[in-house]
Amino acid sequence: MTEPLNNLLKATGLWRASRIDCDYKRYPSSGFAALDAELPGSGWPVDGVTELLHDQYGIGEFRLLAPSLARLSQAQARWLLLVCPPYIPYPPALAQAGVDLSRIVISQPRSPRDYLWVLENALASQSCSAVIAWPGRILDKQIRRLQVASRTGNTWCILFRPEAAGINASPAELRIRLRPGQPRHDNSALEVRILKRIGGWKSGDIRLAFADQLHRPMPDFSELVVHQADATALESMTLPDTVAINRRTYEYQ
Amino acid sequence: MNTSETDSELWLCLNFIHLPVEVFSRQQMETPVVVLNRQRVMSMNSAAEALGIRLASSMNTAYTISEQIVSFERDEKKEFATLEHLAQWAYQFTPSVVIRAPQCLLLEISGCLKLFRGLDNLKQQIREGLDKLGFTATVGVNGTPLAAQCFAQARLADNRGDIETSLAPVAIHHLQIDARILESLQQMGIADCHQLLALPLDGLNRRFGVFFTDYLQRLTGRKPDPQKFITDKPRFNSEISFLSDVTNLESLVFPMKRLLGELHDFLRGRQLQVNQFSFRLAHRSHPPKTFNVMLANPDNDPAMFLMLTQLKLDRIDDMPEVDSLSLTARHFSDMEAPSGDLFHGTRFQQKDGSRHSKAEAAKAVELINMMTARLGPQACFGLALANDHRPELAWRPVALNTRPEAVQFEETNARPLYLLARPSMLESAGDLPRMAGPLTLLQGPERIDFGWWDDGEVSRDYFVARHACGALYWVYRQLSNNQWYLHGIFS
Repeated sequence: MTEPLNNLLKATGLWRASRIDCDYKRYPSSGFAALDAELPGSGWPVDGVTELLHDQYGIGEFRLLAPSLARLSQAQARWLLLVCPPYIPYPPALAQAGVDLSRIVISQPRSPRDYLWVLENALASQSCSAVIAWPGRILDKQIRRLQVASRTGNTWCILFRPEAAGINASPAELRIRLRPGQPRHDNSALEVRILKRIGGWKSGDIRLAFADQLHRPMPDFSELVVHQADATALESMTLPDTVAINRRTYEYQ
Repeated sequence: MNTSETDSELWLCLNFIHLPVEVFSRQQMETPVVVLNRQRVMSMNSAAEALGIRLASSMNTAYTISEQIVSFERDEKKEFATLEHLAQWAYQFTPSVVIRAPQCLLLEISGCLKLFRGLDNLKQQIREGLDKLGFTATVGVNGTPLAAQCFAQARLADNRGDIETSLAPVAIHHLQIDARILESLQQMGIADCHQLLALPLDGLNRRFGVFFTDYLQRLTGRKPDPQKFITDKPRFNSEISFLSDVTNLESLVFPMKRLLGELHDFLRGRQLQVNQFSFRLAHRSHPPKTFNVMLANPDNDPAMFLMLTQLKLDRIDDMPEVDSLSLTARHFSDMEAPSGDLFHGTRFQQKDGSRHSKAEAAKAVELINMMTARLGPQACFGLALANDHRPELAWRPVALNTRPEAVQFEETNARPLYLLARPSMLESAGDLPRMAGPLTLLQGPERIDFGWWDDGEVSRDYFVARHACGALYWVYRQLSNNQWYLHGIFS
């Protein structure tokens, strides 16, 4: 089926609708070639709301952004605002990733009202290159407001949300589901699937490999035994209590 | 400080004749306001005067004339504070300002006439400024401080020539002399200064004492008259009292705007900037409420001051009524003089290699200001590296207006992007940690044994661990008791 289609695409002047934006909208690369190929504009957007859906901390959800954050922090004299991060964004690791720490601002509003106030004002203020937030539950109309604000301020808004949110529709322009991927060699991997994008359908699973060498096995000189991750544990996976996503409800008028 | 030796000295005296009432009313014309001293009217505004109220009449008399009259008890402390504030305000015209209580300011203006293009222009500017502040003053100009003061009280035309000649027609009751001396002089048949100054000094000295002749000599400039100028310890404090209680806090915005405008002029006159000021809302029957407005960077922009103040004001809900409002600023910093863009809005490569336009930088500061104003100073901060091998001490939060010194120390081992604020204890199965499922150790150990010299000694073996669900964690084993802890997440 696809073979004749591809031939047709090559032979004639036909093109896919998903490439419609690419000529005049070229976004900066995400740092992952496989992801760039699927993203509209061949890279992360520069504004609008992007939702990253995942249920588990520690699968590489933040490392996915690291190349872009490093680029934004170095290229622009604007803030990178992190609103209520669930843990301390660890400066030595950020510095290793090439992020300019002097551009990072952490904001910790206490009340849900303040939380959304900070998000909306920071997005619209034109003084941030990206605003990253971990809203536990956020309403559609709130995301729509953030979308408008992020267009006004020319600011990229990234929301980390639980995977269950992917079932419902959202005004976000780009929605990507993240799941842990099977590591290859020494490097960890992330399996992403684009759930919503402009000018395209859902994508298939894309496997992104990091160059982190985190899976380099431990030299076998200690008395510690190296266990292999067994397949049964993979299937019966549960959320560990300590890292379960802290779900908070934010009301906003 | 004595500048009396110079011949070209010129003094301008501002005599605030309505000061007792203006500290309360600030020249609000519509409502009649009177100030009482021992149950007698001692000062009033023009509205009260128009109604026919006279000085020294009692309050009962005043009330029979009109029921709308608002009365205040005289507050000399407040008058002096206002005079100090006005002196700081007058500092924008000349650095030599003298406070002459109870109601005069003396300005030595010989040095600033050229800057303000002549005496008339200077007086005009002073008048306009005082009008804006809501104060009225009579102005007198003469060659000595005392003569200027005398001219201001007698409302005489400016004199820049010979002092004694100019004083000649002044009636002696305009001089600041003791009532007893005044009386005896009048009994002697002396009515004006011409006659007084013609008398031999040693005779006057014998008759009225050395203080009187000293006064006369200083008045005419025959003797130097050193003055104590205000020191420019920059401190801004201005207050507005309301004639009726304000119950709607939103209506405070207008007087706040006025006070912030005064602050702006104060700062501009001294080329200063401020990064913190505080408002005080008071009412006679409630405890006063103070709130601070902090800025990320020192600034002097009244529009931004007002916006931040409004953000703070919106959050005040426990102040049912207000009868006076004051603004104080204490900590100032010198104004930076950035070189302007020749090509407006274009981007230039800065010394540190970054490219940014001034407008962008201003917006960046504005966001931080807004957030600190609404969320409090602790709610937003930046990150910096710190020179320490202990993971929890290898970073620190920093205030956003400080530029931390660069840390040379570069970490080469794997570090997680999320760090737990305090390590959480893990179960263990045999030699291995567990966290609702087994953890596989991938990389390590990285031994961190550090800090025995201060109290925060750590000795740990760090590992990268993989959970069965695919997540990567940063765990360590405490060497002292073999207990496993989770310290970070490779998110």
